[in-house]
Amino acid sequence: MQATGRMTFRRRKTRIWSPEAPWIWLAPAAVLLLVYSLYPLVFNVYTSFEAFDPVTKGFRWVGLRNWTELFADLRALNSLRVTLTYGVAALSVELILGMTIALIFDTGIYLRGLWQTLIILPMVTPPAVTALMFRLLEHANFGVISWVLYGLGILNPAEPLLGGTGKFALVGVVIPDIWQWTPFCALILLAGLKSLPVEPLEAAEVDGASAWQKFWLVKLPLLRGVLTIVILFRIIDLYRLFDYIYIMTSGGPGQRTETLSFYAYQTYSFIAWGRTAALGVAILVLIWVSTNLYIRIFKVEW
Amino acid sequence: MATKTVPIAGSRPVVKRQSLARRRDLGAWLRTALAVLLTGGFIFPIFFWFTASLKPFGLIFTLPPVFIFQPTLNWYSVVLGGVSYNDLMLKLTGALTSTGGGFYYSVPYILSSIRVAVASTLLVILLATPAAYGLSRFSFRRRHDLVFWILSTRMMPPIVAALPFFLMYRQLDLVDTYPGVILVHTVINLPLAILLLKSFFDEVPFDLDEAAMVDGATRFQAFYKVIIHYVLPGLSATAILSFIFSWNEFLLTLVLTRTGVRTIPVAASTFDSSTGGTEWGFLAALGTSAMVPVFIFVLFVQRHLVRGLTMGAVKG
Repeated sequence: MQATGRMTFRRRKTRIWSPEAPWIWLAPAAVLLLVYSLYPLVFNVYTSFEAFDPVTKGFRWVGLRNWTELFADLRALNSLRVTLTYGVAALSVELILGMTIALIFDTGIYLRGLWQTLIILPMVTPPAVTALMFRLLEHANFGVISWVLYGLGILNPAEPLLGGTGKFALVGVVIPDIWQWTPFCALILLAGLKSLPVEPLEAAEVDGASAWQKFWLVKLPLLRGVLTIVILFRIIDLYRLFDYIYIMTSGGPGQRTETLSFYAYQTYSFIAWGRTAALGVAILVLIWVSTNLYIRIFKVEW
Repeated sequence: MATKTVPIAGSRPVVKRQSLARRRDLGAWLRTALAVLLTGGFIFPIFFWFTASLKPFGLIFTLPPVFIFQPTLNWYSVVLGGVSYNDLMLKLTGALTSTGGGFYYSVPYILSSIRVAVASTLLVILLATPAAYGLSRFSFRRRHDLVFWILSTRMMPPIVAALPFFLMYRQLDLVDTYPGVILVHTVINLPLAILLLKSFFDEVPFDLDEAAMVDGATRFQAFYKVIIHYVLPGLSATAILSFIFSWNEFLLTLVLTRTGVRTIPVAASTFDSSTGGTEWGFLAALGTSAMVPVFIFVLFVQRHLVRGLTMGAVKG
């Protein structure tokens, strides 16, 4: 970036096929990304006005029917509610727990490298495997987590995490998310803590600030940028919440754990493809609005 | 007692008074204990899963969980060794069960996963490296918008792309084929790879390109003979991360394949574990086999992991 001036000087007369033309470098990747981003968008918008007929194996135009149905669809509304509840629950636990871990790791411990390496492992475990793992751990009869929760009196065997009436099913599917992504939050926050400027902290120390005050008044405000990034990534991931749900509960019991992505998948596998497309557009609009608002409000820079 | 404090990463300036130093020592030990506890909590599921893959039939479900037992390779003998399910059941229970054999043999799934992950990673690197170089080295109008657009393609949930790609693939005869899956994995890993590599290219001084070109190299030569060597660590980090993400990808592979191409996550999800019976042993064996390669790989990228997972936004 600092060389901008020099570069523009050099490229004063860039011919289109010259290696000084940026597009030559970018084109192959950009074309692929364009197909990946534009084609689903156009397809979904168009198909949301159509319905797939399994008999004729073709689409036919149905006008606004998918959309009017979608807006009256309690199941879609439910999946939005489930997604948001899931997101708020998961993110708040992940941030608090992640921050705790980051602070402990930052304030000087023995063998930090070792603990840090170990705590990375959940992050790279295939989510499908994670889901299976927690399905066993949360099993109503022989799951270790269930057993511990029963023992502590937090949970009643009549109302297990998975199965039963599904009162706690959402908790059940939030747990693997917390397990996988708390280390992510912790690691990034730790990187943020490590790169904090020393002066404000020293000044606070000189002024006799307690550890608590130093955290709330100095560290946290300075970590704003890093926090914004962590939350942005978790918002993006929230809309793609699928693997745990598919493997652990299939959206059930009832529709208690049915997220937006999973509901869209359900309509897909029941060949209600017009509905799938409409849902797809709705999800894209939701993401676009929420991330844009977020980026504007918190002034995310790349 | 010496007044020397043990130098600990991130500790504040050393205070040379003995009592204080000792108090700090104690504090560090306490914090270490806390860190061990937290780390242990996060490692426990993996540890439990790993031990489950070695437990004899029945012990998997014992509560409280048992961690001292005579390990058995029974589950692996079916999953990786190709012993038939019936033979194992005959050996374990002395009776034939109705489920057909061969289903849990997972070496083909593992090979599929490797093929897809390796091929898509190579493609990602091939496409992303020049793009990242271009983004880093040239300034042009709306470059910032372009970066954001690349970032935004990462935001699209796979389910939104599932139906359009499924129908397109059906037209092109790409459903359930390696090229089809590889292509999709390549595309979903491209944004991350481009932005991550760009952050590595940005760290190489622009003067190096200039110097190479003054010495008579063309722009392309400067790129692949000089600059590329400075981003090799970044390149390998990007490759490993994109391998891991391809290895872990589930939804699009599920939608775009049938039985011809079956990666580990999709295969594992089809194991019938609903009965709570013997399947957990096979699942644990397959799951462990799926985790080991990523665990080894991640050790190599640990240093760049934060930067990688935030697509270059946070430097680790």
